[in-house]
Amino acid sequence: MIDLTEIFDRADQGPLVSETDYYLGRLVPKLAGVIARYRIRWDKETIVNSDDDLVDRVFQAAVDLIAETGPYCPDTNRVMEFSRDEVLRAVEQTPKAVVFGEGRERKTMYGRGIEEGGRPWIHVGGAIYMTSEEICLDTVEGMASITLADSLSVPSLLHLRGRDVRVRSPQELLAAVKTVILAREGIRRSGRPGLPIINGISAASNAVSMIAAASPCFGLRPSDGFLIDFLAEMVINYEALQKVAYFNSIGANIGSTATPLFGGYAGGAEGVAVLAACYLILGSLVYRGNYHYNAPLHQNLRLSSTKPLLWAIGLANQVNGRHLRYPTVNLPYLGGGAGTRMYHCEIAAYLLAVVPSSGNIFSGRPAKSVEPDSLLPKDHQFHAEIGLACARYSRKEADALARILYGKYEGLLKNPTKGFRYGEVYDLKTKKIINEGYLNIQREVRAEFRSLGFEVSPS
Amino acid sequence: MEKAEMFLSLKETLVLLEEEDLLARIEEALTSGVDPLAIIERGLLPGLKVIGEKFQDEEIFLPELMRSALIFQGVMAVLQPKIREQGRIIQKKGTVVIGTVKGDIHTIGKNIVRLLLEIGGFEVHDLGVDVDTFKFIEKAKEVNADIIALSALLTSTLSGQRDVVEALAGQDLRRRFKVIVGGGAATEKWAEEIKADGYAETAPAAVELAEGLVARRLREGGRGL
Repeated sequence: MIDLTEIFDRADQGPLVSETDYYLGRLVPKLAGVIARYRIRWDKETIVNSDDDLVDRVFQAAVDLIAETGPYCPDTNRVMEFSRDEVLRAVEQTPKAVVFGEGRERKTMYGRGIEEGGRPWIHVGGAIYMTSEEICLDTVEGMASITLADSLSVPSLLHLRGRDVRVRSPQELLAAVKTVILAREGIRRSGRPGLPIINGISAASNAVSMIAAASPCFGLRPSDGFLIDFLAEMVINYEALQKVAYFNSIGANIGSTATPLFGGYAGGAEGVAVLAACYLILGSLVYRGNYHYNAPLHQNLRLSSTKPLLWAIGLANQVNGRHLRYPTVNLPYLGGGAGTRMYHCEIAAYLLAVVPSSGNIFSGRPAKSVEPDSLLPKDHQFHAEIGLACARYSRKEADALARILYGKYEGLLKNPTKGFRYGEVYDLKTKKIINEGYLNIQREVRAEFRSLGFEVSPS
Repeated sequence: MEKAEMFLSLKETLVLLEEEDLLARIEEALTSGVDPLAIIERGLLPGLKVIGEKFQDEEIFLPELMRSALIFQGVMAVLQPKIREQGRIIQKKGTVVIGTVKGDIHTIGKNIVRLLLEIGGFEVHDLGVDVDTFKFIEKAKEVNADIIALSALLTSTLSGQRDVVEALAGQDLRRRFKVIVGGGAATEKWAEEIKADGYAETAPAAVELAEGLVARRLREGGRGL
């Protein structure tokens, strides 16, 4: 493993190039080059790949791309270069397991294999904005009360004392602290105080806020998980490296995360698959990550449930399952609003693409039609159950079913169904569901899945 | 080769992004006395239109868009001096100053809008990311812009869009420039709230919005382009 200071030095001492030259002279042509070299091609029909040779070629393409291109540091305008040997050594040394949580909730997330069949890790929640502290607390408590859940993503506050929180402001730092305090309190109220938060820290967009809110004074622990992101594409800035320096120093769990953009520098499905595989490797090599959030997204539609993206996301997971075994969850950005039929069909197709391909379970995040307060714990419990059902499928079986499910929402992707907000579904005093229409949708979807032979057992 | 056939071949060569071939064909056309303005209007602009449509249909992506813009710039460097020699000018649709607002470092969405605007015939001045509020205004004044286009991906950076509108009003310049907003965090409702002149959810929609605003301005008898 390369010494961490040496990693930081690469950002200061690599070749000096402008951002435009990096993209046009390096990343874009090299990405096209490795896609051609390894004959990576999506057939425009498959959702869940079952060609292991293709998986191996995507892995080789990712290794070559990192070795021939290297990530870019915009703060120094330098390319961080790594040799092929260094890249392959990082692959070998990638962690295969990570321990999260405390007490009874202390558990290990593993990097799964393809079609492994065992119980995947179940992660629920999302970093959606909440309009009030009360709804934030109730949502987190509801999520933590999902007995299947192994870890949580917690929401963020939209306002502090009724005012907008501005990026890099002292209010942002305070909002990040407040978010952590509320999240930990919500978890404590559920009776599972040791349950880990692994999207630390959703309300902090910069290193100062994140490091401040990570203080044990506010309730986070090294056994939670702290996310450090790559910017699209292949960009590693000083903010990210500062977070690496800090969270590495305190021995905390570091989650690498990246959002390769379909339609951006990645190009189409093939480029997204290769870049998503690159980020897995770079997460281990540069960020010293213990786990990874794989979060590809459609540039225009702002969701990840299109057919080419499902293929690319599943394929990147298969690269992980065959070559790295880096503990990974995949962030499902979905078009449909919370509680809608579209939303549930999308998560089913998404988890069919991911879970048999070696990924762990993550419940759906309404993205395209997202409204504040649109995290509904009952949805996330259902998604956990769907994920467990997906673990029984081979990739071939999953592909057939995912194609059917995809057909149920494809026509809605450009104009997705609006969903429910917390206050429209839950009684804010009793915290019980009071919206029968909402419950009916879930019952109908479960029955619809059953009619397809896709049995989702209630937990 | 017939002229119509030649314009078609220029269009197709541009769509295929074959830079050297395109430059050779343009050189050949110029040598045989074809009007350089006609080369642009009948050969290259239809090619750029096809490229824009292919992008919208997800047949090509940002790398191809960037490449087409670079090729077009290279070709224009050859054609522009010849057009000027004739004492003529190339009509542009309008001038846009674009950037990602202060505090926000996201670049890709803004870059796509910039390229589609350029391909659509606008003169575009890209200020990059994390742009100071007043820099938008200074640049807009400097280049006599029609439109200021503001991108923000994060909810916590949306206030940067409002700041530009507010700063324009503070300098009594609000009516001089149209302000359009976009990016992951922006919405129609937000645009109305901050009194922007328009919101676009996607890059192609931003081009349509810009075209509409410029056309409306002309109809209203505002500043010409």
